[in-house]
Amino acid sequence: MIEQKIREIFCKVRDKAAARGICASFSLHREKSHLMRIGNNSVSLNTSENLCRLDVEVINGRQTGTHTQMGDISSVEYVEKALELAVEKARVASPKEYAPIPVVVEENVDESVQYDRALENVEPSFKGDGYQKIIQTVGEKYNFSGSWSSGSVELYLVSTENRNEAYHLGTDQDFNVVLKHPEKKWELINKQNGWRQSDFSADAAIKSFQNLLPFYEKVPGFKPEPGEYTVAFGAKALAEVLMMGSFTGFYGRGWEEKQGWTSKNQLGDKILGENFTLVDDPACEGTYRFGFDLAGKKRVKYPVVEKGVLKGLLYDNSTCARYNKPQTGHSTGSVSLTMLSGQDSEDMLAALKGKGRVLVIPALHYLNIPNSSKGIFTGSSRFNALLVEDGKVVSPIFSSRVTDTFASVFSNLSLVSSVNHSINLSNTYGRRAPVAYSVPSYIVAEKVKITDSADSF
Amino acid sequence: MSISEELKQSIRTNLKKVMDKGAEYVDARFYTHDDSETLLFYDGNLEANDTSFESGLGVRVLWGGAWGFAATSNPGEIENCFELARRNAETAARLMRLPLGMSKKPAHKSSFTSPVKTDPFTVPLKEKLDFLKAIDDRLTADWILKRFVYAEFQKKYSYFFNSEGTEVSKHLANVFAKMMVMALDNEGQMQRRSQDLFTTGKGTRGYEMLTQPELFSGHADRIKQELAELIKADSLEYGRRSVILLPGQGFLQVHETIGHPLELDRILGYELSYAGGSFVNLDSFGKLQYGSEKLNVSAFGGIANSPGSFGFDDEGSPERDYLLIDQGILVNALTSRPMIHEANEVAGRQVFADVSGGCARATAFYRAPIDRMTNVNILPGNDGTLEDIIASTEDGVVLDNPVSWSIGSNREHFHFGCEIAWEVKNGKKTRILKNPTYQGHTVEFYNSLSAVGDASTWQVWQVDNCGKGEPNQIMQLAHGVPAIRFDNVITGERK
Ligand SMILES: [Zn+2]
Repeated sequence: MIEQKIREIFCKVRDKAAARGICASFSLHREKSHLMRIGNNSVSLNTSENLCRLDVEVINGRQTGTHTQMGDISSVEYVEKALELAVEKARVASPKEYAPIPVVVEENVDESVQYDRALENVEPSFKGDGYQKIIQTVGEKYNFSGSWSSGSVELYLVSTENRNEAYHLGTDQDFNVVLKHPEKKWELINKQNGWRQSDFSADAAIKSFQNLLPFYEKVPGFKPEPGEYTVAFGAKALAEVLMMGSFTGFYGRGWEEKQGWTSKNQLGDKILGENFTLVDDPACEGTYRFGFDLAGKKRVKYPVVEKGVLKGLLYDNSTCARYNKPQTGHSTGSVSLTMLSGQDSEDMLAALKGKGRVLVIPALHYLNIPNSSKGIFTGSSRFNALLVEDGKVVSPIFSSRVTDTFASVFSNLSLVSSVNHSINLSNTYGRRAPVAYSVPSYIVAEKVKITDSADSF
Repeated sequence: MSISEELKQSIRTNLKKVMDKGAEYVDARFYTHDDSETLLFYDGNLEANDTSFESGLGVRVLWGGAWGFAATSNPGEIENCFELARRNAETAARLMRLPLGMSKKPAHKSSFTSPVKTDPFTVPLKEKLDFLKAIDDRLTADWILKRFVYAEFQKKYSYFFNSEGTEVSKHLANVFAKMMVMALDNEGQMQRRSQDLFTTGKGTRGYEMLTQPELFSGHADRIKQELAELIKADSLEYGRRSVILLPGQGFLQVHETIGHPLELDRILGYELSYAGGSFVNLDSFGKLQYGSEKLNVSAFGGIANSPGSFGFDDEGSPERDYLLIDQGILVNALTSRPMIHEANEVAGRQVFADVSGGCARATAFYRAPIDRMTNVNILPGNDGTLEDIIASTEDGVVLDNPVSWSIGSNREHFHFGCEIAWEVKNGKKTRILKNPTYQGHTVEFYNSLSAVGDASTWQVWQVDNCGKGEPNQIMQLAHGVPAIRFDNVITGERK
C-alpha cells in the first residue's frame, strides 16, 4: 500500500510545478514480482524483484518531454530532479503540429478490487510444492518445464491540471506447466491465471494432463496436408489471435492511418459474424481491471464489435490529440478485452458431435502478421493439439501452420462455447503490466487454412 | 559516474557472507547507469522524446545445486537482496534433480569499454533532433501516407563481482536507428520500405556511427524510390523458386533459424515453456549436416562495432570467436559456464570443451543472465558479388527486410514475410513484386544454400529487441551476413 509520505512528496512537487505554470504529470509504478521457472523437472530459476519507477511527462505548448527514473521515491528533491530533466526536454523539443492533451485525473480513485495480500507475499516454496505435486503425480518419466509469475503492481497518478489522485493496487499471477515426452517430443500444457493465490490448483493441472495423456501415448501423430479445415481454437489460441486482431484492427491509431484490416470500414459496418461480440469491460472479473488509464481517464464499458458490427475503436491519448477524437480510456500499453460467450455446450467434444473431422488447436506458437492490411495472421500449433472426428479424439496433430485472416475466421464461427476462460496475456518485459482476455473456452471456425505441417510435434 | 569504493566493499562483504553460509557460487552485478534515450519523429511530429535512467543490484546464488536470484533498485537494500537471492536458491534446491554447477575458473580483474568517439548522451538534444528532422524531411512526399524515423541511444555501466574473485567493469554503448515510409498500393493495402542503421563491423559505436550517411541517412531517397515502385507492383505468385536474401533479411533468417536453435539452454530444455525447444540435440554436434558445404557460421563476440560485442559476458567470461557450423556440419553451440557443465553431465561425455562461449547475458540488473547470441554470422563465401549471384540465377526473387516472422517451436520450420522482392529471370533482375513471403524447413532450407556472396556483400545488421527468457529479457546483438541464395523454396501464399 502506498505510503502517505510518497503521496505527500508527489502532491508537493505537483503543487510547486503548477505554481510555476508547468504542465506536468507524475506517476509511480511499483512492483513486487516473483517468478519461479522450471526446467528438466527442477527449479531452474527462482527470482524476486522489488522495483520502483517514476514517470514524469511535461507539456510545453506543443512540445513534450518524458523522463523515467528507477529508484525509491525518497524525497521532494528526487522527484523534482526528474521533473527538471523532463522540463528541459520539453523546452528543446520540436513542436508538434497538434496540441498534446495533458493528463487529467478525472476523479479521485483508490482501487484494490483485485488485490490479494497472500499472492503478493507468496512464499516461493508454495510454488515449488505445487510443481512437485504435479511432477510426482503425473510421472517423473516426462520432462516438465514451466514458469509461474506472480506479484503486485501499484500505480499512482497525479497531474498539475487538478488536485485529484488516482491509485491502483492489484495482484496477478500467470502459471504454466509444460509436459514433454522425452522421446516422442510431443508437448502438453496447462495454464492458469488469476489474481488470488487460491486461483491456482495443482489438481486441475494434473487432471488436464491425465485426460490428454492416453491419446498422446497410444496414437501416432496426424499430419494434416495443406488445405481448408474445420478448426476448434482453444481459449489460449483464441485470446492470442484476438489480441493480434485487435492491435491491427481495433486500435484508433492504426484505423486513422489506414494500416489495419478494418481501415476500409466505418463504425456501424458489419465486419465479422453475428456470433462475434467484443467489449472492453473494466468490471469483467476474467480480465485485469483498471478503473483509470494512464491519461487519468475513467474507464467505462466500451463496445468494440457487437454481433459482428464495428462499434468502437480504442484510442490512446496522443492519437486523440492528433486526430481530434474524444478519449476512450485506452491510454495504456495493452487493454484487457472480453469476447462474449455463445450458446454451445461447455463440453467441446460433445459440441463437436456431427461436425465430422475437426482439428482442435488449443494454442498457437509464434503468431505474427504477414499482412496487416488484409489481416493475415500466421502461427503454428503446438500444445494439446488433437484430430477429432464426430466428437471422438482420433490422434494428436503434428506441428501445423495456420495462415488465415481475422475476418475469415471470425466470420465463419459455427460454434462458440457458452463458458468463458480468462487467459493471461501479460509479458514480463520491463515493468509489470497485467493483461488478460476473457474468451469463450473454445470456438469452432469453418474453412480455416492450414498452410504447412511438419512430420513431428 | 563509477561505482564507489564503499559500495564495492559492501558487495564483496556480502558475497563472502553468502559463501560462508554455504553457497557454491555467487555473483553480483551493480549498474550505476542503464540509460536510454528514444527520439521518434512520426509524420514529422516528435512523438517520443524520452529518457529512462535505471540503476540497481542483481545477485545470483548457486546453493545446493540450484539457482536463486534477487534484484533491487534501492541501494539501501543490498544486504537484504543478497539474503533474498540466497533464500530463493535454497528453496529452489528443494525441487532439483540434477545438481547444477559451474566448473571453477581462475579469478581475473578486467574491464571493457565500447569504442566511442562521441557519447550520444553528451550531444545536445537540439542537435540530435535536427539530424533526425533532416532525414524526416527527405522522407516526406505528398504520396507518402506515413513515415517515421527514430534513434535510440543506450549506455550501460555495470560492475560484476563473483565469489571466485573475478571483477569486471563494463561501459557499453549502443546506437540504433530506423526509418520507414508507407503508402497505399493500387489495392488499398499499406506497403512499406525501411532502413535500419547497420554497420560494416568496423568503426566505433558512438553518435558518429549514426551520422555516417552510408550507414543510415544516405538510404532515405532509395527507400522512397523503391516504395514508389512497390505500390504499383504485382504480388509475388505462389510457387517454388530460388530466393536470394540480402543482409537486411538474411540477418533475421540467421537469427531465428541458426542463432536461437543453437542456444545451449534452449537445447537443454530450459526455454520449453516459453520460447520453445530446439530440433538440435546433444548428439547433433559433429554430425548434423545443418546446411550445404557453403554454410560457415561463427559466433564472434569481437566484431569491433556491434551490440553483440561486450568484452566479457555477465559471468565474467571473455568474448570469443569460434565456429558454430563448419562447411555445413554443426560443430558448436552458444554457451555459458553452467550450461556447458550441465550438457556434459547429461551426455555423460564431453560434448563441449570447458570454455564458455561468453554468451551469458542479462538485459538489466534485475534479470539473471541466460544464454544469448553474441554476433552469429554467416561467413562470406566465394560466389562473388550480388550481381554475380543474380547472374547465375534462373528463376528467383531477391528479398529484403522483414515484415513478419513466425517460427516453429523447435525452430524446425519457419514463415517469413518481407517488404520487397525483385524478380530474377534468366540471370536478370526484372520487376519489383509486393507482399513476398517464403517458408521452409530449417535443415532442408540450409542444405539448399547454393550461393554465398563475397565480402563485398557482407553487412552487420543490428538486433535491438531479441526476446527470450522468463522473466522476459530483451537483448541487443548483431549478425554479419553476406548475400545468400537458397534453391527450390516455397514462396508466396496459396490462393
Ligand atoms: Zn531473438
